[in-house]
Amino acid sequence: MIGNDIVDLNYAAKHSPYSNSKRYQRFLDKVFTKKEQLLIFNAEDKHQMVWLLWSMKEAAYKVNVQQFGKQFYNPKRIDCKLLNDKKGQVIIDENLYFTESIITDDFSHSIATLEGETDFKSEWFKVEKLDYKTQSKMLKYSFLKLISETKGFNIQTLSIKKTEVGIPKLFNESKKLCIDFSLSHCGEFSGFVF
Amino acid sequence: MTKDQLIAKLKSIVEPYIQNEEAFNNLSENTDFINDLKINSANLVDVVLDVEDEFDIRIENDDMEKMISVKTAMDIINEKLNAK
Repeated sequence: MIGNDIVDLNYAAKHSPYSNSKRYQRFLDKVFTKKEQLLIFNAEDKHQMVWLLWSMKEAAYKVNVQQFGKQFYNPKRIDCKLLNDKKGQVIIDENLYFTESIITDDFSHSIATLEGETDFKSEWFKVEKLDYKTQSKMLKYSFLKLISETKGFNIQTLSIKKTEVGIPKLFNESKKLCIDFSLSHCGEFSGFVF
Repeated sequence: MTKDQLIAKLKSIVEPYIQNEEAFNNLSENTDFINDLKINSANLVDVVLDVEDEFDIRIENDDMEKMISVKTAMDIINEKLNAK
């Protein structure tokens, strides 16, 4: 099982509470544990740290939902630890997830696995100023293109359907394939992994 | 507050964060914030903060955990308003 999450840092800066607002502390208290808030407080770039931790939480959450089939919204229940600037560990209840992240000035992209696997394929890309539906189409197309090339499928017969709890599943000629993957989109950035 | 009034208030709270107009226009109790309205999960915190301000209530993380649809959000708001 695998999960990924990408955050467009400019989009996040525009659409989430400003760091000098009263609302910012309320936001932090709802999302981050005391330990994580300390990491943010001590970070050179606080904005980057907030969204690095966020993408780790979200990527691990996506694996958790695949495992247990239950959605919930409580980012604070998802506990992050950074091992270095790329690797981290996330705990949800008693379950451990391994994360690997890329962080740049523009985006943060995290991938979470159950066993710390490294044999996954992932990509990220930027598409400027497109509406949500077009972005979503482009993300699906890019994913299907790479997976059809890698696994030898005809892209025309591949399709994606979501389960009731929002987990995307891959189908070839309406037959469900056992390929774990994850798609993510935020602002101008998209990412996927399989 | 009637059910319709509550839905109308919730609708105006989520409006700035939605990415699927069609689902927003057809918003009902069964609408899911992330899967239907395509609200970015990071912005769901903003929805919770706005709900707190609008109704003058405090939503603990254990309550927030269930706030993934219009129906569950309404249940939590009603519960908090009744406890006031």
